[in-house]
Amino acid sequence: MTDGAVYVLETRGLSRAFGGFFAVNGVNFRLARNSMHAVIGPNGAGKTTLFNLLTKFLPPSAGTILHDGEDVTRLSMPAMAKRSVVRSFQISAVFAGLTVRENIELALLREHGLAWNLLGRIARHRGVLERADALLERFGLSEYAGTMAGSLSYGRKRVLELATTLALEPSVLLLDEPMAGLGHEDIGRVTQLIREAGKGRTVLLVEHNMNVVAELADTITVMVRGEVLAQGSYAEVSSRADVMAAYTGQTHE
Amino acid sequence: MTTIFGVPSAVLYGQLLLGLINGAFYAMLSLGLAVIFGMMNIVNFAHGAQYMMGAMGAWLLMNYLGIGYWWALILAPLIVGAISIVIEVLLLRRLYKLDHLYGMLLTFGLALMVQGAFSNWFGSSGQPYSIPQALMGGRNLGFMFLPNYRAWVIAASVVICLGTWYVIERTKLGAYLRAATENPMLVQAFGIRVPRMITLTYGAGVGLAALAGVLAAPVYQVSPLMGADLLIVVFAVVVIGGMGSIMGAIVTGFLVGVIEGLTKAFYPEASTTVVFAVMAVVLLIRPAGLFGSKLEAAQGQPQSSLSATAPSTLTQTLIFLALACCLAAAPLVVYPGFMMKAMIFALFACAFNLVAGYGRLVSFGHSMFLGSAGYVCGHAAKIWGLPPEFAILAGTATAAMLGFVTGWLAIRRSGIYFAMVTLAFAQMVYFVALQARFTGGEDGLQAVPRGMLFGLIDLSLPANLYGFVLVIFLGGFFLIMRLVGSPFGRVLKAISDHDARAQSLGFETARYKLVAFVLSAALAGLAGSTKAIVSQLASLTDVHWSMSGEVLLMTFLGGVGTLYGPLVGAFIVVAMQNYLAAFGQWVTVIHGLIFVLCVLAFRRGIVGELIEFWHRLHRTPPAKPAVLHNVAVAPQE
Repeated sequence: MTDGAVYVLETRGLSRAFGGFFAVNGVNFRLARNSMHAVIGPNGAGKTTLFNLLTKFLPPSAGTILHDGEDVTRLSMPAMAKRSVVRSFQISAVFAGLTVRENIELALLREHGLAWNLLGRIARHRGVLERADALLERFGLSEYAGTMAGSLSYGRKRVLELATTLALEPSVLLLDEPMAGLGHEDIGRVTQLIREAGKGRTVLLVEHNMNVVAELADTITVMVRGEVLAQGSYAEVSSRADVMAAYTGQTHE
Repeated sequence: MTTIFGVPSAVLYGQLLLGLINGAFYAMLSLGLAVIFGMMNIVNFAHGAQYMMGAMGAWLLMNYLGIGYWWALILAPLIVGAISIVIEVLLLRRLYKLDHLYGMLLTFGLALMVQGAFSNWFGSSGQPYSIPQALMGGRNLGFMFLPNYRAWVIAASVVICLGTWYVIERTKLGAYLRAATENPMLVQAFGIRVPRMITLTYGAGVGLAALAGVLAAPVYQVSPLMGADLLIVVFAVVVIGGMGSIMGAIVTGFLVGVIEGLTKAFYPEASTTVVFAVMAVVLLIRPAGLFGSKLEAAQGQPQSSLSATAPSTLTQTLIFLALACCLAAAPLVVYPGFMMKAMIFALFACAFNLVAGYGRLVSFGHSMFLGSAGYVCGHAAKIWGLPPEFAILAGTATAAMLGFVTGWLAIRRSGIYFAMVTLAFAQMVYFVALQARFTGGEDGLQAVPRGMLFGLIDLSLPANLYGFVLVIFLGGFFLIMRLVGSPFGRVLKAISDHDARAQSLGFETARYKLVAFVLSAALAGLAGSTKAIVSQLASLTDVHWSMSGEVLLMTFLGGVGTLYGPLVGAFIVVAMQNYLAAFGQWVTVIHGLIFVLCVLAFRRGIVGELIEFWHRLHRTPPAKPAVLHNVAVAPQE
């Protein structure tokens, strides 16, 4: 295995400024293959900006992003999805005007060569229907198949979004605060789903809920003020005084 | 006499002066639009009508009450501003949480009502308004003659613009205003009464437009439609400058005026279209506008009118067959001429609905496809002597190409900007049609031959013609039905729901939008070509912006985003035109009223409301989200 391929995603000197303020400042970040990697940090640390840069939601001000060793800095979000790098959104992103089943089918269209089919009908393509059925079953959404996604409860929207994302069978899964806004019982359920989803693929998540991070992540990156403060396992990171200081708001100066 | 690049210097200076005057009005109007948009997230489509009300107000004060120019300068803006405050409190206030397009539609309806009513009362021809005594005459500057009134207009407008800029950017009141634009909730929490501030801002912005109207009264003729065309240029100015900055609006306004003046001096043929060409270039190079920082404003979630799952394929086919039978049998009871006109407009509306309803790209410029296709088809049939099938093909292909070019540029912006850009391009096409020789200008292309279809079917026979229109309509409708139900239609709908999410799933959303736009343009062109063959006429009416307004009306009245809504809407609007023709301009007022009612009372349209009612009757769970939330829009550089 070449050196470039050890890391699925890698950034070199990645920066993003908003006006004169650097939300992400010269970050060198590496995402190891098949790891379950969490980015944490206090509010305003630049986690979400880093995430948005990695997923091409925002263009960087400086620096490069590599995927499997290739420079992908200038690629668009759809192009990343075609490279099997797929993200979710913080505010649950479902297609509100489509039913639950239609949401999932949508994610399957490209793979089945139907994305540019202008006159056909999805109902004629058994492959799509069967896979949609299987996904609905697996995520416990079968009984809501005909419900408009917009009228689902918040927790179910999250599950649907995860199901839609996993329908693409991505090799890299990027999750933006998957637990945001979830109730207690949903958190356990979604944690379980993410753990299962992580088998055989690389997962990067931005998350505030430390219990979830401790439970899921094998590697943790701590960001403070747009820079990487620490990286390591949960035990390593949580034992460091500067990390605790950053979280409790004390400064070293 | 001295010349500059072959143009006499006196002509050049004269045109530059005229350009500056026009620029002054662009600046004042776009300034008001920017202030209103910043504060209320509403694109005030009534801005042109309110400018007209200022000018008409001055004229009325003079002719009915004997009140002169200087008092009118104060009174007219106050009166028009006061009326607009009532409108804001009664109507606009209900729309702030909805998609910006509803504000645009409502104010468009209001503009139609005001312009229609004034046309009825005072006729649509221009009324002269004389220059006040004190500003008569002029002075010779040596290189040119400068009329005093024009010097006054330029000086006054610069003072007004800079004064507005000062108030907004440098005073405490302005600071509150800017803060409330950023975060109304927070400012409200500080104890400032934001709703009242919004109301007064709208009044002030409209008052500014009315003031511009009074200033304009002695320069231009005072007529009910004087603001309509001007507003479209102002929209182009807004797209060029970007809506974000006050100084940007002022500078761009004057700049565009001067560019227009220079064009008039050096290449007069292009003077009406140059603004739109500049807009196209700016869209290419700097989509956010010269002074714009944000590409898009945050958008409220529009109400999804497609609230229910589509009926099964079988049901759809049955409805379609029933529709075909009804339309085929209709000439037995209804006047065939009416039916053909209604079917052509129905196809046009269905084509429009493909992008407006399913792609949520509400175009305000679809008349350009209907009209240009009609001209090309008419020209091909009449001058080139092509048989009808090829003439129609030529017209449709033209519309598709026009759709490709304008769509390619316009989809760089979404929401209200998309609407403004398409409107501006349509206006450009209108001016080309007005000036180009082959369109026949004001007369249009007359006596277009119907010819023999495929060399076999004589279209001059009424029954053949009816069958021909029927087949085209059903074919077009069937195509749209299939498109909407196809995987492509599913992707399109998903993109309109959440563009960024669709991108993250690997769909190049811009390409889908462009393909949908081109298909819509082509089908609109098919309708326009057929119209030229049936009516044997291609005229300016079909490329005028009011035609884009009509197709919007049909679609929103019937139900945007429903398959049969545009069809129903088209039949109602065409019937209205036929039976209410005796009322003349009042039809425009009724159109405007329908817009206002649609936006306020039934946003789903007739068919949409019927579907909703049906589902409530059958206790199907509500389909659309009850809570409004913001849609994530991918930021771009």
